[in-house]
Amino acid sequence: MSRINKNVILALLTLTSSAFLLFQLYYYKHYLSAKNGAGLSKSKGSRNGFDSTQWRAVKKFIMLTSSQNVPVFLIDPLILELINKDFEQVKNTSHGSTSECKFFCVPRDFTAFALRYHLWKNEEGWFRIAENMGFQCLKIKSKDPRLDGIDSLSGTEIPLHYVCRLANHAIHLVVFHERNGNYLWHGHLRLKGHMDRKFVPFRKLQFGRYPGAFDRPELKQITVDGLEVFIPKDPVHFLEEIPHSRFIECRYKEARAFFQQYLDDNTVEAMAFRKNAKELLQLAAKTLKKLGVRFWLSSGTCLGWYRQCNIIPYSKDVDLGIFIQDYKSDIISAFQDVGLPLKHKFGKVEDSLELSFQGKDDIKLDIFFFYEETDHMWNGGTQAKTGKKFKYLFPKFTLCWTEFVDMKIHVPCETIEYLEANYGKSWKIPVKTWDWKRSPPNVRPNGIWPISEWDEVIQLY
Amino acid sequence: SLVSQDEGSFHLKDTAKALLRSLGSQAGPALGWRDTWAFVGCKGGPVLGEKHSRSPALSSWGDPVLLKTDVPLSSAEEAECHWADTELNRRRRRFCSKVEGYGSVCSCKDPTPIEFSPDPLPDNKVLNVPVAVIAGNRPNYLYRMLRSLLSAQGVSPQMITVFIDGYYEEPMDVVALFGLRGIQHTPISIKNARVSQHYKASLTATFNLFPEARFAVVLEEDLDIAVDFFSFLSQSIHLLEEDDSLYCISAWNDQGYEHTAEDPALLYRVETMPGLGWVLRKSLYKEELEPKWPTPEKLWDWDMWMRMPEQRRGRECIIPDVSRSYHFGIVGLNMNGYFHEAYFKKHKFNTVPGVQLRNVDSLKKEAYEVEIHRLLSEAEVLDHSKNPCEDSFLPDTEGHTYVAFIRMEKDDDFTTWTQLAKCLHIWDLDVRGNHQGLWRLFRKKNHFLVVGVPASPYSVKKPPSITPIFLEPPPKEEGAPGAAEQT
Repeated sequence: MSRINKNVILALLTLTSSAFLLFQLYYYKHYLSAKNGAGLSKSKGSRNGFDSTQWRAVKKFIMLTSSQNVPVFLIDPLILELINKDFEQVKNTSHGSTSECKFFCVPRDFTAFALRYHLWKNEEGWFRIAENMGFQCLKIKSKDPRLDGIDSLSGTEIPLHYVCRLANHAIHLVVFHERNGNYLWHGHLRLKGHMDRKFVPFRKLQFGRYPGAFDRPELKQITVDGLEVFIPKDPVHFLEEIPHSRFIECRYKEARAFFQQYLDDNTVEAMAFRKNAKELLQLAAKTLKKLGVRFWLSSGTCLGWYRQCNIIPYSKDVDLGIFIQDYKSDIISAFQDVGLPLKHKFGKVEDSLELSFQGKDDIKLDIFFFYEETDHMWNGGTQAKTGKKFKYLFPKFTLCWTEFVDMKIHVPCETIEYLEANYGKSWKIPVKTWDWKRSPPNVRPNGIWPISEWDEVIQLY
Repeated sequence: SLVSQDEGSFHLKDTAKALLRSLGSQAGPALGWRDTWAFVGCKGGPVLGEKHSRSPALSSWGDPVLLKTDVPLSSAEEAECHWADTELNRRRRRFCSKVEGYGSVCSCKDPTPIEFSPDPLPDNKVLNVPVAVIAGNRPNYLYRMLRSLLSAQGVSPQMITVFIDGYYEEPMDVVALFGLRGIQHTPISIKNARVSQHYKASLTATFNLFPEARFAVVLEEDLDIAVDFFSFLSQSIHLLEEDDSLYCISAWNDQGYEHTAEDPALLYRVETMPGLGWVLRKSLYKEELEPKWPTPEKLWDWDMWMRMPEQRRGRECIIPDVSRSYHFGIVGLNMNGYFHEAYFKKHKFNTVPGVQLRNVDSLKKEAYEVEIHRLLSEAEVLDHSKNPCEDSFLPDTEGHTYVAFIRMEKDDDFTTWTQLAKCLHIWDLDVRGNHQGLWRLFRKKNHFLVVGVPASPYSVKKPPSITPIFLEPPPKEEGAPGAAEQT
């Protein structure tokens, strides 16, 4: 009898001690998680994202910039997209009552902000204070491109980018500079020799692969994830600009060399032509912008930009290019309305369309419409007398912004290929007599318009 | 250490001699024509060595001298000053480690301030107007100029850009000392064409750096700037905005000498472009001047070019009676001591702060004519039988307005005026200060109007009994000394 009792007692003891152990374990876990979780959630450690390094870095950055009066605004495409999509959500959110971190906690390596440089009063002390707050900052600066004109000037370098790292997130502050032509410009983010290439994953930056040009955005202040930030008033427009913002400088050094060789024409006629051509270009740009039609400098006007950073005085007209898919039928009436009547219309939308408008003092505005094929582009020409058609072939190109006669305007990014197609390899040599039917190396005969169509495809005024 | 080079004594003035004496030099103050001389000494310390050799005759030089001395060096700690570690003093330290000769900037005990806190200007209409300082290689002038500029009420240091014509270090050091923006320009061409290209590059760059600006203030390195310079501009800039018949606003009155300028609240319209501290309208520069600016091979003065009728096109500048800038430069491309003494030293310069300009809107085109007619109606006609050059031409009154009529046959007949300007000791090298054949100045603290008859439209105000004064130029003598250099 006692042996059975002994076993039972042993089993009972083991059971109770295990139960006690389990109870302790359970109580311990519960007690600890209650202490950490503040009763909000049962998930491990994080409070709905507000502990994420991204959010904390952004918060610290905003604290830094507002305390130092650095007027930054958010340009991060990822965040702006989210804000734009959930705009209603953001609108109805007020201070502090955020329940969930929806935007700034999104996993990513960078958050991009921007700053208009001339609004920044106290750059000198900023760096040190940023470091005191725990940021590790890298400053990218370079020569001021606005000093790079036809004269040779040099001054102190201007800041282009700041990349400030905190824990494993980084804030990319893009420094915008004002330029003639009413736009904001930012520079290329190029690492100098001594800089640490592993400081942050530079390849993942959204801005800085190229210099960029943007319209000056109006800003509005919103509260996102409990943080007050400025964003562009029209985020959609800003986001659309980003993939098409690449900017290239005019080649002033080469232009100076060109003028060493071929003296610039400073006669009264040349200056009058330049003045009229500039006004015509500005008027055309304004009109097309209002219509929302993209265009770029073509032919002689493009050559003038590339070769001498100015309008070629002996060119007779202003030449623009437009993709045929961007054609709008109200182009003609819009130009008419601003005092540029249609001089001739060749071709049709389906084939070889070309428009020419009459400006003052005998300058014409020629618009060439470009057609896209699988591996090249072309625009068409028509000889009015004979109805002969011509085709001008170009390698495919993309559009970049540049600054020309105090305007922000498009040119083909692949400019040299574009110009050499049109003018051959000897484009550096000024040629005053240019026969558009024969001189261009890229011209091809393209048949002839059937006489029945002449009324439609050859319209002279 | 000092060494004389051929030739060291001709321009050695008394101040320099006194300085050499204070350094302990014996031969320096007594240096003769084409003497050779070498001197090594210390500021505030002993003379370490001096050798001197007299030139025996006018046409020959002193014998070569060879001077060998040992110079005791002091340690870096002793040589440096122990100023407090502020950003300003860091700039000061950088500057003083490179240059000297700037007085108490580098004084250990009592360093002169390099930051100024002039009173802010309420309702400052020129707060965002860029200021271009056109500089060459006269760093001590630049230093003096920047001090006065930064002390002017309403100055915005971040709008100032100093453009240096050439890669000179010391002017850049001066600019860095004051924490301003400096830009160097690769010089092109020679002489006055070089200056002209420098102006063009600087103005173009100014409007490139400040694309929103509609105006630019243009200053040079050899000007003192009045304490109310920006106040003066702030009160008058709207005229340049609203009145197309204006070419510029300038701080300089060509005829404003100590004895011919009185009223700091008074403004004039004149048919010249005085320069020497002026405001350029961006549209004028971008649309008219920049496209046809003289090319580098044209040896023209930029300001003479700007004054030509093809550029000015009948427009006028606003100037104050009492200039808001003072030209102190004695050394320069177009300057020398004599010229400065004769035409610039006694120029009146405003030192009164916060002057309220009177009736600014009466400087607009039509309103000015109304004002002139009012003045002429009130003016007392002087006794034209007296000699206008004499002080007695005007009665011994103060605060009156007088008018005199001189002969001016045609629009470009300035014979009598030039003689009058000569005898009154005002600017007489070319014609300045006129507005449709009318000149305005002060004599013996009375407002003095001069009307050219019959060319001036104001000739109608001449009483029939008055014969316009005619002053003939003296007959040209053979071998007469030439006139002073033209600006």
